[in-house]
Amino acid sequence: MELFLQLGFGMMGLSKDLISMWGGGTVILSPRDLEPIQIEKIGAELLSLNGKNLVDPQFYLPRSDHHRLTSYNYWPQNYDTQGFDDSNREKMLEALVALNYKIGTCEVIVPGERAEEVEDLWLDSQVALLKAAQNTTDIPLIATICLSSEAVRSNEQINSVIQLAESQSVYGYYLVLEHPGNTYLVNDPQWMANSLDLAAGLRRIGAKVIIGYSNQQQLIMACAGVTAIASGTWMNVRSFFPGKFRSSYEEEIKRRAIWYYCPQALSEYTLPYLDISARLGLLAELMPDPASVYAEQLFSSPQPSASGWSESLAFRHYLSTLHAQVSRSTPNEFDETVIYHKGFLDRAQGLLQYLRENEIKGLTRDFYEAVDANRAALITLERTHGPLLKRHWNE
Amino acid sequence: MGINVDWLANNFSDLSNLKLIGEGGQKWVFICTHPKYNQIVLKLIKPGGEQRLMREIEAVRRVPSCVPTIHDIGVFESELGQLVWILEDYIDGRTLSDLLKDGPLAKTRVLKLAHDLLCAAVEAEARNVFHRDIKPDNIKLDHTGKAWLLDFGIARILDMESRTLTDAVSGPHSPGYGAPEQFRNRKKDIDGRADLFAIGVTIYEAISGSNPFIVGARDRLEILRRVETIQLPRLTLDWDVNSAFADLISSLMQKFPYQRPTSCREAYNWFLEINELLGGN
Repeated sequence: MELFLQLGFGMMGLSKDLISMWGGGTVILSPRDLEPIQIEKIGAELLSLNGKNLVDPQFYLPRSDHHRLTSYNYWPQNYDTQGFDDSNREKMLEALVALNYKIGTCEVIVPGERAEEVEDLWLDSQVALLKAAQNTTDIPLIATICLSSEAVRSNEQINSVIQLAESQSVYGYYLVLEHPGNTYLVNDPQWMANSLDLAAGLRRIGAKVIIGYSNQQQLIMACAGVTAIASGTWMNVRSFFPGKFRSSYEEEIKRRAIWYYCPQALSEYTLPYLDISARLGLLAELMPDPASVYAEQLFSSPQPSASGWSESLAFRHYLSTLHAQVSRSTPNEFDETVIYHKGFLDRAQGLLQYLRENEIKGLTRDFYEAVDANRAALITLERTHGPLLKRHWNE
Repeated sequence: MGINVDWLANNFSDLSNLKLIGEGGQKWVFICTHPKYNQIVLKLIKPGGEQRLMREIEAVRRVPSCVPTIHDIGVFESELGQLVWILEDYIDGRTLSDLLKDGPLAKTRVLKLAHDLLCAAVEAEARNVFHRDIKPDNIKLDHTGKAWLLDFGIARILDMESRTLTDAVSGPHSPGYGAPEQFRNRKKDIDGRADLFAIGVTIYEAISGSNPFIVGARDRLEILRRVETIQLPRLTLDWDVNSAFADLISSLMQKFPYQRPTSCREAYNWFLEINELLGGN
């Protein structure tokens, strides 16, 4: 499994630095966060750094009024369900494919509307958009599947999505799955199990699968044979929040706080909690494993919050550490991969328990409540897809 | 509505030793002797069952190697109205459900059964036929151990018009063996993987001696609820190397088609690898 960068607000410089440092990698560019001129510029710069680009069309809410999104010429100016016919779709895809050509993408992400419920109209719309894309370009296509949290929770609706995928011949899928209750980390085992089930089902039909808007909780997607998870800096690119595609959305930057990601705990902590950890003699437990050059400054001070550790370093630390975790997340065989992740979750839970006993908590970014959901999802994956994933693991 | 055997014998002068061996909602089944084919089966279709019969004949024509051969078909007038009859090979043996009354099958017979059922499913799939009613009652094992698939009466033939209404709440199935997509009548979902589900349950039953979806169930709805919601415990067999056979059966019995092997062919190829590993024939 790979880590793709999910570009969000203020990530241009960071993405170039990371791609340069990693010697390559893929960035999913965000029209919502970049002017058309910027997207072409950064696309070219990333290519020159041995990077690869994808463009997320972000057609999740077709009636979006976000000024930057609607400034792109692929965006339909007067969308209405009845009038958005094949000719409109082809115009949209022609403009989108032209943008992809300019940026030099090797694969085109086909737009897909968010499904509140997977029903016939949505399925028809998916097919129509795919058909329009197929009529427009020979570049391999990646279809967007964007589902509400309730749609993800429904076994029947997941079945309908896979059934649709079985009837199409598509190179890959870009899964954008809304978390229940807009929470950052998910403690609903049914949601987690179905997101793994969906990914595994798509992988088993031979498609490339990218999980968009991800965080460390999606590391277990490696067990479903997922191609890549995509993550970024702010929470709104680490979990899918459709509201951010409306103009009324206030940027998270107005509510900034610095969070330190403790990779072995799969949790993040604000700096005051690190201060308390230091006073309790527990700071060593939180030092990053794998080590991170971006966190050295934080741990070199007796009082972490006084170390001058910046938000920029926090983001770099998060993404470089997650990158390292992703690269370790897929051993050679299915069984080994599951054992690795189960062991990882067990160790994380032990550490989280110990930290909680000492009142060190990650607040809304504490993984403690999510561990069981991930574990339940893994067992469900093993029971449903395990033998077949094992059989086809290296294909 | 009964049938008089003596009267029937007069209508089939080349048949002798006519003996009624079964009667269902749609037909009477007789065993008899034929001058050319020796022991043979005569099926008489009750009025109203003709369409189903024609579907069955077409299915059998397409899947010849694992179903009894049909030799002749005809119609005659009776006091009950027009009756369609067919003459087909008699398989000398016992149905699987009858055999299981003696207890679960041993390794060799289980592997042979799995082989024959999957092989039949592959042949059917290649010809767009889905049996949709695989269960121990519809499987006969002859004296060589070969499994024969009987009763294609509710078979779906993909390139022929479906006989089940699209908006019907429930599709044709046998409770405890029919896959969820079948009894939920999710017609677009139904393909060879529905037969794989039934084969998985049948083999599970052949190994464990009973069908856990059915045993102790209050009624038909309880059986369907179990089929949709219960994951059966994985098989543990002392002859199964690395749980390979248990893995296959577990995959066949998954609740949604996409969680099963992608086709009967894939399941069969997988079985062949396991069979070699387990030293089967």
